[in-house]
Amino acid sequence: MKKAYIIGILMIVFGIGYLITASGDVSSYANFDDAKPDSTVKIAGNLVKSKPIVFDPNTNANYFSFFMEDKEGKTMQVVNYGAKPQDFEMSESIVITGQLEEDKFIASDILLKCPSKYKDQEVLLRKNG
Amino acid sequence: MQEIQYFGEHLWPKNLGHILILLGFVSALFASFSYFKATNASIDEKKGWQNLGRVGFLTHGLSVFGIIGIIAFIMVNKYYEYAYVSQHASDTLPMKYITSAFWEGQEGSFLLWMFWHVVLGIIVMFGSKKWANPVLSILCFVEALIISMIIGIQFEVGESVVKIGSNPLLLFRDTMDIPLFKNADYVSLLSGAGLNPLLQNYWMTIHPPTLFLGFASTTLPFCYAVAGFWLSKPKEWIKPALKWALFSGGILGIGILMGGAWAYEALSFGGYWAWDPVENMSLVPWLIMVAGVHSLLIANNTGNGIKTSYIFLSLSFILILYSTFLTRSGVLGDTSVHAFTEMGLENQLILLLLSNIFIAVFVFFKRRKLVESKANEDRFDSREFWMFIGTIILLFSSILITASTSLPIYNKIIQVFDPDFVGIVINDAIPHYNKHQLWIAIFIVLLSSFSQWFRYKGKITDAYKKKLIKHISISLGLSLVFVILINLILKIENLPYFALMSISTFGIVSGIDFLVAFNKFQWKQAASIMSHLGFSIMLIGIISSGVNKKHLSSNSFVFEDIVTKERLEKNVTLIKEKPMFMNGYWVNYESDTLVNNERTYNIKFSKVDSTNKILEEFTLNPMTVFSNDKTEVVAFNPSTRHYIGKDIFSHIAGLPKQLMKTEYAREMEDTLNYQKITLSENIPFENEQFIISVQKIDFDPSHIDYEKEENDLAMGLTLNVLDKASEKSYEIKPVVALRGAVVYKFFGEINDLGTRIRINESFFESFFVFERDVDYKTVILKEGESVMIGDYTLNHKGFNRTPKNRGYQAEEGDIAVSSLLEFVGKNNEITNLEPVYVIRDSRQTSVKDFDPKSGIHAKFTHIEPSNGELEIQYSIDDRESNIIELEMANNVPRSDIIALEAILFPGINLFWLGSLMMLIGMLVAMAIRMNAKKV
Repeated sequence: MKKAYIIGILMIVFGIGYLITASGDVSSYANFDDAKPDSTVKIAGNLVKSKPIVFDPNTNANYFSFFMEDKEGKTMQVVNYGAKPQDFEMSESIVITGQLEEDKFIASDILLKCPSKYKDQEVLLRKNG
Repeated sequence: MQEIQYFGEHLWPKNLGHILILLGFVSALFASFSYFKATNASIDEKKGWQNLGRVGFLTHGLSVFGIIGIIAFIMVNKYYEYAYVSQHASDTLPMKYITSAFWEGQEGSFLLWMFWHVVLGIIVMFGSKKWANPVLSILCFVEALIISMIIGIQFEVGESVVKIGSNPLLLFRDTMDIPLFKNADYVSLLSGAGLNPLLQNYWMTIHPPTLFLGFASTTLPFCYAVAGFWLSKPKEWIKPALKWALFSGGILGIGILMGGAWAYEALSFGGYWAWDPVENMSLVPWLIMVAGVHSLLIANNTGNGIKTSYIFLSLSFILILYSTFLTRSGVLGDTSVHAFTEMGLENQLILLLLSNIFIAVFVFFKRRKLVESKANEDRFDSREFWMFIGTIILLFSSILITASTSLPIYNKIIQVFDPDFVGIVINDAIPHYNKHQLWIAIFIVLLSSFSQWFRYKGKITDAYKKKLIKHISISLGLSLVFVILINLILKIENLPYFALMSISTFGIVSGIDFLVAFNKFQWKQAASIMSHLGFSIMLIGIISSGVNKKHLSSNSFVFEDIVTKERLEKNVTLIKEKPMFMNGYWVNYESDTLVNNERTYNIKFSKVDSTNKILEEFTLNPMTVFSNDKTEVVAFNPSTRHYIGKDIFSHIAGLPKQLMKTEYAREMEDTLNYQKITLSENIPFENEQFIISVQKIDFDPSHIDYEKEENDLAMGLTLNVLDKASEKSYEIKPVVALRGAVVYKFFGEINDLGTRIRINESFFESFFVFERDVDYKTVILKEGESVMIGDYTLNHKGFNRTPKNRGYQAEEGDIAVSSLLEFVGKNNEITNLEPVYVIRDSRQTSVKDFDPKSGIHAKFTHIEPSNGELEIQYSIDDRESNIIELEMANNVPRSDIIALEAILFPGINLFWLGSLMMLIGMLVAMAIRMNAKKV
């Protein structure tokens, strides 16, 4: 059984090593106030629909900008160097991942929480009924 | 409240279905109990209980098939009074997607899962005399739990409502209370939502059944493990469990792989694996099942590791249930793109999970003395020792993945105690998982390569040792050469990836060496070598296509060092018919066509060398998919060109806003500043920018956005627009249509000039004079006569006693006749009209005919019975000097552009080849073991 102990100890060493390296991958949801230029944070918030949403392939297919209000009520411009996700305007809330750059938040990833696409409990009527 | 008598409802599927669901549940419990008794009974009683168990299980199976049959029937026949039909089917849904629509819903997928359990259970019932009783007892218990997920019972306990299962055979009016259901004839008003357009492809037809067969197949090794301990037969269960575990590993793996292939081929994720929680939680049971297979092999060959095998097999099944809980409870809503929506059955799912954990743990502790731990040590030079380490590493990998994926659960638990806790999340999932799993893959390849050289129980002779050293040296030497060669192609600079690539290369080389030289093609081990070789090949494919993927549509080649990850531009904007150069390719967006709800783009790629000589040309066809009602774009489907050594993957990353939704198109059209301009057929319009002239007036026009309907009045113009600055002329065809009292204007667009032109509604007035303003003249003639009227000759060509005229609708008792009139103009242009003379209810009336092109109106107003003279009234509108009013908008944003993402995946076929080899290897191993039994 001694070898089993050795394995056990090795696993614990690996496990601790994992926890140390993985703790950097995890963070709690932050606010715009917590955002810094050199560390990545995740911020949840809502789209400010009254402010402009810019994505225009005519000028730049790799520039998408919008305004988001975080949970504390602070609003900031968010820029993503990519295309606008589908159903963006429909989103109930947004989670962005990225860093602060001057007065803008540069998002590397945008996750949308949309109302279910699977249209639960919606009555569909015939058009010519 | 008074009961409403509804029309048109079909109630028998509901009634029969409810009976079958209850019967299925009760018979599963009954079968489980009978088989339990049969397992524990003495020899004389065994037979009786076993027969009862069989009856119960077959009844359960027939019930499940019956429920599936009923749901399929009501879906095929579109009984929209059923909520499940209305939510998943629609009139336009093609028959080939009926099965997909069936398992789109949670209830349908539970039924699919049960279906496979029943099929596998029947195989055990007839194929395994020794094990059928205990195995089916457990299987039927699991079935009872799963069918309870669709039982659909609600009752109140104190204040709260307890919901057990969600019944797929509920009438719509029983699920919600809305005024519609006060209408006794509501059924005829209902329609269906149909299948999500994203799911309308053959992947949705083949992926779920395979994956659920994989899910169902994990139950059997679990049943055998529990049965083995239950009957206190520690050795006998190993062999049958091993076959089932190999089957499960192969099928579940193929099911997962299909999901990856679907994502890669048909969705615009740009990859086959994204470490999404739903993906992770199907991978983890597979990893554990693979660990279980290895553990069973150890047990089979050495008699050690029986308890470990029990733990792995139970864990694999329990993790399937845990994965079911995660994906169906709504917990993952925040972190996954493809979890099911909430159904309010979380507690029942937890119960399903806990009761099976209880069975596994209870039986294990009840029989913990069954296997005596051996006094002798495992030897370092034995195969089983290193295989065991491998299984532990797989377990370790699973724990890491599960821990990270379960963060939402962890957050929920903490929030129970600390409501202010905001929860923690993984910032960037893909690197997080890759970072750790990479080292695990390295260990696995090392272990599998080295352990194949060892023998069970470490029986190594000196001769064997010599051979061993020789082959290890050969493999190492060859690998070194190959690593250098491969890195000349892949140019990997990152150390962990380089390590993984080197180890994988060693895995391939040593595997082939082992098969050819060391093992001399022994059939029995070929399956294992195939799987392990496949794994290494798959890893090379992952590195090659993942680390070395390149955006053709980007600046990454030029600015690799300056551009940060966020700044990396992935998309290029393509203008229609304006080729663009990117990374060695001329790319031209040539055209697009709309068929049903898919718009297909033709993007031509021309590979050129440095002298601009074309080396290769091909066309990719990415698509945009519209919603079922065609009002908005819901998906961008990719298009991929496959080569042996690479793939070129492309999809549309974005479109101008006005093309995404008809609503936005309308908004944009409304904000444009249209200016009126006037011209006529002969006099062009001219300003400092353009000269616009009319080429043709079209009375039966067509336009991409215009769908003709009966009784529409539509006209179109063919306009020639000359741009003075560029001296280029363009042809556009705007259309205006009158439907009822509403005018629809369909513009013609010149994207290069940013100009849109549409026809003003006054155009109609100049072409269609109000009846009260028509100035009729009368002419008298006889049948077959010709008369001259102004510039025209009028020929009477005869009568038609069954008149054809848009304005005339025959009624009973009508006496109707039309005159066939031919007007011949001065240039011999012919206009045929057919006005109608009617006597209805002893009153004479006439129905006019009109030809918009020539502007001729004609009425047939009287027949003189005495001499047969006919009275025709006519009027000819002035067509020559008609004023045409147009509306023109300038500075319109282009609509003929797309944002395209194109990615080069080198060596991706190695991934598919390797993973398929690995999984098929397991199935081959199973087949070999099945055959071995028969001999």
